[in-house]
Amino acid sequence: MKFVVALASIALAAGLAGCNSGSTPEAKETTTPTAGGKLTGALEVQAFQGGYGIDFYQASAKEFEKQHPDLKITVEGGPRVWESLTPRFANGNPPDLTFPGWGMKHWDLAEEDQLVDLGPALDGKAAEGEGTWRDTFDPQILALGQLKGVQYTLPYYVMIYGWWYDPEVFKKNGWTVPKTYSELLALSDKIKKKGMAPITFQGKYPYYMIDGMLLPWAQSIGGIDAVNAAQNLEEGAWNSPAMLQATERIVELKQKGFFQEGATSMSHTEAQQEFVQGKAAMVPCGSWLFSEMKKTMPATAKMEYFLPPFIDGGKGDPTAVLIGIEPWMVPTEAKNKEAAIELFKYMTSLSVAKKFVQEKGTLMAIKGSDHGELPDVLKVPSKTLRESKAVYSVQFRHWYPTLSTELENGLTSLLNGQISAKEFCDRAEAAADKVRKDPNITKHKV
Amino acid sequence: MKARQWIGTVALTAYLAVIVVPLVWVLISSLKTSPEIFASPWSLPAQPKFENYAAAWNEAGLAKYFWNSVLVTVGSLAALIPIGAMASYIFARYPFRGSKLLYVIFLGGMMFPNFLVLAPLTDLLRRLGLTESLVGLGIVYVAFSLSFTVFVLTGFFQSVPTELEEAAVLDGCGHLMVYRKIMLPLARPGLIVAAIFNGLGLWNEFNLALVLANSESIRTLPIGLANLTMARQYQADWGSVFAALVIVMLPAFVVYWRYRERIYEAMLAGAVKG
Amino acid sequence: MRNTKGRNAFIFAFLSPAVLIYAVFLVWPLLQSFQMSMYRWRGVSRNRKFIGAENFNNLFQDPVFWKSLQNTGTLLVVAGIATIALGVLLAHLTDGDGAVRKFARAIYLFPQVISLVAVALIWQFQLNPKYGLVTDMLFRLGLPVRDPGIVRDPRYAFSAIAVAFVWHALGFFVLLFSAGLKQISGEIKEASALDGSEGWHRFRHVTWPLLWSVKRTAITYLLIHILTVFALVFVMTEGGPDRGTETIVSYLYEQIAKNGQYGYASALAVVVFGVSMMASLAVLAYFRKDPTAGARA
Repeated sequence: MKFVVALASIALAAGLAGCNSGSTPEAKETTTPTAGGKLTGALEVQAFQGGYGIDFYQASAKEFEKQHPDLKITVEGGPRVWESLTPRFANGNPPDLTFPGWGMKHWDLAEEDQLVDLGPALDGKAAEGEGTWRDTFDPQILALGQLKGVQYTLPYYVMIYGWWYDPEVFKKNGWTVPKTYSELLALSDKIKKKGMAPITFQGKYPYYMIDGMLLPWAQSIGGIDAVNAAQNLEEGAWNSPAMLQATERIVELKQKGFFQEGATSMSHTEAQQEFVQGKAAMVPCGSWLFSEMKKTMPATAKMEYFLPPFIDGGKGDPTAVLIGIEPWMVPTEAKNKEAAIELFKYMTSLSVAKKFVQEKGTLMAIKGSDHGELPDVLKVPSKTLRESKAVYSVQFRHWYPTLSTELENGLTSLLNGQISAKEFCDRAEAAADKVRKDPNITKHKV
Repeated sequence: MKARQWIGTVALTAYLAVIVVPLVWVLISSLKTSPEIFASPWSLPAQPKFENYAAAWNEAGLAKYFWNSVLVTVGSLAALIPIGAMASYIFARYPFRGSKLLYVIFLGGMMFPNFLVLAPLTDLLRRLGLTESLVGLGIVYVAFSLSFTVFVLTGFFQSVPTELEEAAVLDGCGHLMVYRKIMLPLARPGLIVAAIFNGLGLWNEFNLALVLANSESIRTLPIGLANLTMARQYQADWGSVFAALVIVMLPAFVVYWRYRERIYEAMLAGAVKG
Repeated sequence: MRNTKGRNAFIFAFLSPAVLIYAVFLVWPLLQSFQMSMYRWRGVSRNRKFIGAENFNNLFQDPVFWKSLQNTGTLLVVAGIATIALGVLLAHLTDGDGAVRKFARAIYLFPQVISLVAVALIWQFQLNPKYGLVTDMLFRLGLPVRDPGIVRDPRYAFSAIAVAFVWHALGFFVLLFSAGLKQISGEIKEASALDGSEGWHRFRHVTWPLLWSVKRTAITYLLIHILTVFALVFVMTEGGPDRGTETIVSYLYEQIAKNGQYGYASALAVVVFGVSMMASLAVLAYFRKDPTAGARA
């Protein structure tokens, strides 16, 4: 037994030694006061690598380095970059500037004081032209990066949600884009008779349907208030008449056979592939669709954006459009905060933003970035956004993940015919109630 | 009797088909363009698109990841097998008070999902200056592979007959000599099995490498493959995803094929009798 | 050989490297993780709050936890029986000469050689409702697998996971049982034949009990791998449809990755760990004695 004790003590000592050597000197702050505006030191950027890659950020960093020769920037990332970033935040050595991606719980970061308040930086001078940095952003989109008025994150590119169709296919068949739900029903009937599936969707990820149908239709029927109430967890908002009727529309489409067979189990690439191959006529998706599918699209396929059909007689705003951002942030424990902010200022300058729009085919949060000749696939979304009188965003997904998960699970069962529309809404309301009553979950307001 | 034989062969062929067909499909798909893969999943490519492999190897950086994987797998095994063998030998042949408990503790390492310990583990590595390094990853790999290794090798050492040991002692061999001269040679099949199974596991290891070795320069193959898959999912270029898959699987197949007889013999000799 | 001369020093020398690395890099972080089960921690900073047994209380009242436990248990039984039954059967079938058998012996470990992520990816394609081969075959057999599609179909999703797991793991068990069968000495076979015991009867009463140590290894191995199965579920079904294939580890991952509830996830892990340990010990105990010892004349 002595040996076990001996060995255990060694192990323990080693463990404790590891524990106590917290005196490993952290790299010191590497900024020097900007003598003559030149930044020095090292700057680490970690970015989510998705449909738009990270090559643009790397190229921008190279350009920026030319202005600050003593600054060394590294830009790295990956499609699941948040998985390696989260422990880094926990251990106090995050990167300097980061776009951690959809899997990072950035509001948790904000609440744990891990993010710098970028308000003061916004009040500073913009990278190009007159005015403050704040002025260069679209204020509605900028607000999406705030928590209780504090600007913890900044938007970069903007995603617009809606439905997509192939204008060539529609023209060939003499179909018109449905503006209302009744038009959608009539059109779907025609499409089905032609042997094509009217609507496909990314069933494996039900949030596409939530963003593309449930919420827009709740907005159609009950106005933005109906959606805001739901996001704000007001009592009864999730089984309100508006929400219920929106759900019933989904059930109706399903029962009429207007959804593509098998869509419920398709991933986003699978369903979208069906769309670009002409097996289905319409698909809900965000404005990244073209970028995501361009490598696998048949040469003759085309895609065009349109707003989700408006529910006839609804009191909502027919120009309302759902948008989303993916935030960038500066950690409080970053070592080179000043350079991080300056780099991002550069990246959000109008000329750079315009380049991103052209190269990546997505809209930006920078005012004026959509002026000039836009890529074809952006023309309609951009126009829609500009003419919209009501812009909203799905924020509760990040605030209340348990509610979101329950909605997604319920939607799958709804689509499988295992629960009714009323049961779905009741489940949603019950989940919202649970969140409401949980004192450990911070509540937010849209 | 003949009927039974025949049924047996049919069943066997079915089994083989179930194994081989998906793998062949991956191979075929790796030479197609993405639209081809979706349009007609079972047809042969119009023209074999070997560029998929080039794309995977060069653009996606698989060359570098490949080398990193080789380094860390071989390095870890070089430490794991000797260390594991020594410990297993003790558990098998040198019981002492508490040795059974210690053995069970070693087995326990297999009973939890390793992403659970990522946070405290990264903290520990950071204090030791071992984050974002293949050395750090290798040490962690050794620690996490010891459970299985000890499990396999202990059983193996236990099944070596004691007569040989006793003869050696009578000849005047000390503990170390017995180990080196008698035990190790006899245990070779077990060591090979442990090395191969561990090696395969490390070659494909994902969770730990993702967090502990994420910087571009030291990334390993599974991370590279996953990145490629997911990045390509955002750009839907499945041909090169499958090409990458083949690149990752190939060395594993080659190693397995080379040692398949040894593995079989080792199992026969009781490598996993427990 | 038990001369104590230098025995203790030898034990110490041979055990310490393994114990050291294991304790520092696995046991210590694991204990810290378990400790985390008594805190509320979001995993993005050092702030954490001690809450005692609250996580465990919540856990035992969590219907999803129980569902995931149930799913995992069912998977264990279903995939376990399938794997062992098929393993034994194929061990018999691959025994002997002939090109087919030799080829089988050469390649049946192939699925084990590729990573679980690759396995999941392959199956994801083959289960696609439009062009998946598996979907196609099952459809021809008359099963309604085209809508909603296997991975989101409450009737089939679970089986899909079980089948994918068996596809991946079977080779190892065939190998295991092959080795076990070979070890049963020819004499015993002859003796039992003389007794009039043949075929199925011989298998049930002679062969099967003699495979006890292999069975023990097989079940332990199965236990560990099914209790910690994650990649398959994560990639193929994400626990769907509506928790239909949620296993304890996939739920654990959801708590960490989606909900940022590290403390709660740790509590779940403690439970997983405890269950695995107890189950493994139970298996070891059940198979402790060689039932054939002393049975020989």
